[in-house]
Amino acid sequence: MKTKKLIAPRYLFLSAILIILAGGLVLIPKFEKHEGISPELLLSNAISPERYISTDELADRYISRDPTILLIDVRDESSFNENTLPNSVNIPLNKLLDENFDAYLNQTAYDVILFSNDSFKANQAWILCNRLGYKNLHVLKGGINEWFSTIINPKEPTENMPKTAFELYSFRKAASMYFGVMYEDQLKIAVPKKTKTTPKLVIPIKKKKKIPTEGGC
Amino acid sequence: MGPLIPNGVIPYEWNNILAILIGIAFGFVLESSGFSSSRKLAGVFYGYDFAVLKVFFTAAVVASIGLYYMDYLGYISVGELYVQPTYLWGAIIGGAVMGVGFVAAGFCPGTAITSVAIGKIDAMVYIVGIMIGVFIFSEFYTLFQPLYEGSYLGNITVVDYFGVNPYIFIFCLTIVALLAFFFTDMIRKKVKKVFY
Amino acid sequence: MKVTEKNRHIYWNPYFGGFLLGLIVLFTFYTTGRGLGASGAMKSSVVAVVEQVAPSHAENNAYYSKFISEDKSPLNTWLIFEVIGMLIGGMISGGLSGRIGWRVQHSPKITKRRRLYFALGGGMLFGIGAQIGRGCTSGAALSGMSVLSVGGFLITITIFGTGYLAAYFFRKNWI
Repeated sequence: MKTKKLIAPRYLFLSAILIILAGGLVLIPKFEKHEGISPELLLSNAISPERYISTDELADRYISRDPTILLIDVRDESSFNENTLPNSVNIPLNKLLDENFDAYLNQTAYDVILFSNDSFKANQAWILCNRLGYKNLHVLKGGINEWFSTIINPKEPTENMPKTAFELYSFRKAASMYFGVMYEDQLKIAVPKKTKTTPKLVIPIKKKKKIPTEGGC
Repeated sequence: MGPLIPNGVIPYEWNNILAILIGIAFGFVLESSGFSSSRKLAGVFYGYDFAVLKVFFTAAVVASIGLYYMDYLGYISVGELYVQPTYLWGAIIGGAVMGVGFVAAGFCPGTAITSVAIGKIDAMVYIVGIMIGVFIFSEFYTLFQPLYEGSYLGNITVVDYFGVNPYIFIFCLTIVALLAFFFTDMIRKKVKKVFY
Repeated sequence: MKVTEKNRHIYWNPYFGGFLLGLIVLFTFYTTGRGLGASGAMKSSVVAVVEQVAPSHAENNAYYSKFISEDKSPLNTWLIFEVIGMLIGGMISGGLSGRIGWRVQHSPKITKRRRLYFALGGGMLFGIGAQIGRGCTSGAALSGMSVLSVGGFLITITIFGTGYLAAYFFRKNWI
């Protein structure tokens, strides 16, 4: 019972563990904390083929009334009011970080498709959203310009082109008719002016509330 | 990601349920460590039992080491935790008054509650005393107000205020705690045993 | 032998208790982002009682009115629930070790009455002090020290410092 030892061995052992743990905190390599995702992941997202969605693919998803697409127009408000893709939401690039738009971008239920006149602004928005760690982001390849030149005014293939080009053309033509473009040979059939079938997407803006920590005795 | 409830990982409704569960664990550990005995608690001031200091310091060291490891691994962000505001003179004078109350009664509020749970009448009287104390403070609040609200320094930690590296600070704290354990044990061996 | 027989409080090793307590503090911070506490529950009870007895007085008092809100009772706070849990936890632990029973614990050198007077007086001082310092040993000192709060260290030092200074005057109560 009465040991002359200053410290019992088990306490020596326990204090050694505590010192090692505390010392570990001092010695662990420090790094600057990254907000959002790591550069490696950003790179792999950037080179992934998933990043872009072609206008044909988009048209296809439109026509099949895919409910999971969420189109976001990152151009400014005046261009948005002038012309845009059906059922799209306007989030100008300079307001991308606005809290009100957070619910549109920061969710996993929809495939977010960013577009602008060309791919440029949409790509910027894509990078920003990726840095914030948002998921399911795509860029419409070529933007609205591409959309008009391929879907709305498809170029008629010339005789010497392969068969696939003709198939693509007929698809695009059908798609453009879906979006309300009329052709000479189709005029007998009354094409409805604009078939806006899918209802306007309304995402309830659920603000992610952050309760301030409280406490005290 | 953490703290879980303020970040909405766990719904807010769990807050009070967790409070009861945490309270049960807290009460259990305090009682099992002997904190329901005022004579054991008072031992820290007379050198015959340093359980308060040991439990208290061990808990603070373990919690701070754990918090900073969790912060490092990204489970919790230390900056989001509640840090009580520091009112320099309020803390000093309040602490001094509490110190006298502690040694007079041999309880602090948390330990008194566990003591009430096992039926100690002195602890119940003590709790009534605290309530009277709070009542007196509130009734004469205008008197205490300058002290209560003066010399406000903000919700500061030693990292903010002194600019020290938290990791090194915790390491030093650990060393100090271990030294304190060692020396208090030496003292306890010299002091006449008190049976309680 | 008889003395040791009376002295058979089987308590945990303080380091083990401290380790578990540290884990509880850690868990509390991880889940709720706040620390533990105790005296806040007593403050809430006082506010609730005063509000029941004299609502207009409570409204007019600058201190009570801080803790009174229209939509919820002053008793509906985190700390009240935590203290209810503490009572349960203490009862479980005490029950398991057979420590439950009505008694007044005091040094054999002093009377029961003296012990109760000192408990009351000490409680009053602690109550006032906890309000001035915005926290008690668990809320301000323990939780504060865990997050390296300046106030936490300050309160710990002052509580124990003045405790040692005042210990001489109260020695008869304890040893």
